[in-house]
Amino acid sequence: MAADIGINIWINEERYEKLKEAGLADMAEEVLAGMKRIQIKCTEEQKDEILKKYPSAKFDASTTRTIELLPRDVKDKIFEIAIAKKSTGPEVIEEFLKG
Amino acid sequence: MSDYIGHGGKPIVERVLEKDKAKDAIQGLTQVPVRRQIAHEAISLSYGFFTPLEGFMTWEDVNTVCTEMRLSDGTVWSIPILFDMKAEKLKELEIKEGDSILLTYMDAPLAIMDVEEIYDCDKLTVCQAVYGTTETKHPGVRRTMECEDKFLAGKITLVNEPKFNEPYKSFWKTPKQHIDAKKEKGWEHMVAHQTRNVPHTGHEWLMKGAWFAANEDLMVDELRTGVLVNCIIGEKRVGDYIDEAILLAHNKLNEAGYFRPDVHMVTFTLWDMRYAGPREAIFHAALRTNLGCTHHMFGRDHAGVGDYYDTYAAHHLLKQVKDDLRIKPVFVLEWWYCPVCAEVTCSALCGHTKERQKFSGTLIRSIIMDGVKPTRLILRPEVFDTVMECAEKYGFGSPFVTEKYLAERQPIFTLEKMEVGKA
Repeated sequence: MAADIGINIWINEERYEKLKEAGLADMAEEVLAGMKRIQIKCTEEQKDEILKKYPSAKFDASTTRTIELLPRDVKDKIFEIAIAKKSTGPEVIEEFLKG
Repeated sequence: MSDYIGHGGKPIVERVLEKDKAKDAIQGLTQVPVRRQIAHEAISLSYGFFTPLEGFMTWEDVNTVCTEMRLSDGTVWSIPILFDMKAEKLKELEIKEGDSILLTYMDAPLAIMDVEEIYDCDKLTVCQAVYGTTETKHPGVRRTMECEDKFLAGKITLVNEPKFNEPYKSFWKTPKQHIDAKKEKGWEHMVAHQTRNVPHTGHEWLMKGAWFAANEDLMVDELRTGVLVNCIIGEKRVGDYIDEAILLAHNKLNEAGYFRPDVHMVTFTLWDMRYAGPREAIFHAALRTNLGCTHHMFGRDHAGVGDYYDTYAAHHLLKQVKDDLRIKPVFVLEWWYCPVCAEVTCSALCGHTKERQKFSGTLIRSIIMDGVKPTRLILRPEVFDTVMECAEKYGFGSPFVTEKYLAERQPIFTLEKMEVGKA
């Protein structure tokens, strides 16, 4: 299944430092008026599972095809897995959902 | 001619009893506790926000609103204003047509309703007509389907004026007070901005663009056009911005100089969004006419939800009935950030479609939720600071609605307790 849905992790100084330490600073892309993010990709199936688990989150189907409004601690956890795996692919979300 | 003329060319009528008269009028009436939505709508009806309506709708009005998008007198109207009640409750309280009953809220008297009619209504037919769907995942459909099985129609008279708590108190105006404020400011034109969000720069520029459109051919040596930010305060869901942040962040735009204070005013209306898209746009046009607005901005997917409505469906419906409205729609396109132009700009003007950076309220909420301060190009720093101050002061540490906020938030208003003799 194509992993064409994104989860934006917005980068503040603290997260940027962690990316640099892991040699992943290049993963941060500037997308919105100077705002930097890394985008973790997930599949349709993973998206449904995440929305079920976190009902306050929203999938923006029309504009960005991203899952938004995930709680901060969830984003922190996903970010840590991305750093550990040095990846932004669907395997990050796979591990997150397993946990 | 009166200064207080509202939607449909009808006079704005305030049905509010003075305290002394109210105390006498409520004695012996059957008391009917009502939920928040009904209480808010009773208040709005009493002050004339829903002119020409002076009470909850009759079956005939509901029927013509559904079939023709008009009240039975021919005035354009798009959303049924319903008061529902359980049949058993009606029976238990022995309420019948011709009675006057006392609506109570938060254990205090609120309004007298003169029960003109008690009727049945096919909720599915209403949903199909108003929302274009009967799917219960549509929040408006869900709200309608959750209504009880009997409906009451009749005029409403407020007997206990709400005392708004801060910060609401600073932004509360009745329709007549809106019209007075417009006059005091010397505005000939007033353009409404409909919102239930904290303003990002896309909103700011949408409002600025609408100001130019609404100013039309008025001379600019003395400014006579204003922007009315009329926030919708109503049902909240977890993840929404807290109400206090919405009001204070909008107001911050003029306090911090992004709008001159003499061209900008923030107020609110008590209303639960129905997410009826184009039909809700028509309702907003009527509502803001009653606040004295001459113009109203309508953006993409106005008051829509999910993918139920075409992006510009509201614009097309407004165009169909514009001759019956006393307010001019200002149709606005999408605003985005363009790194080439290095500014927030509009899809109608900017040619850098490949480089454009779309942003939405949801995206910015997501940034704030991540604990990241957005750049000033997308959220003014003063607005961000206000939002975070509101989080501490009103939101139990969060600028977004949480379960705790829903359970423990300070009330928007309080009602004075009044003695009521038994029926």
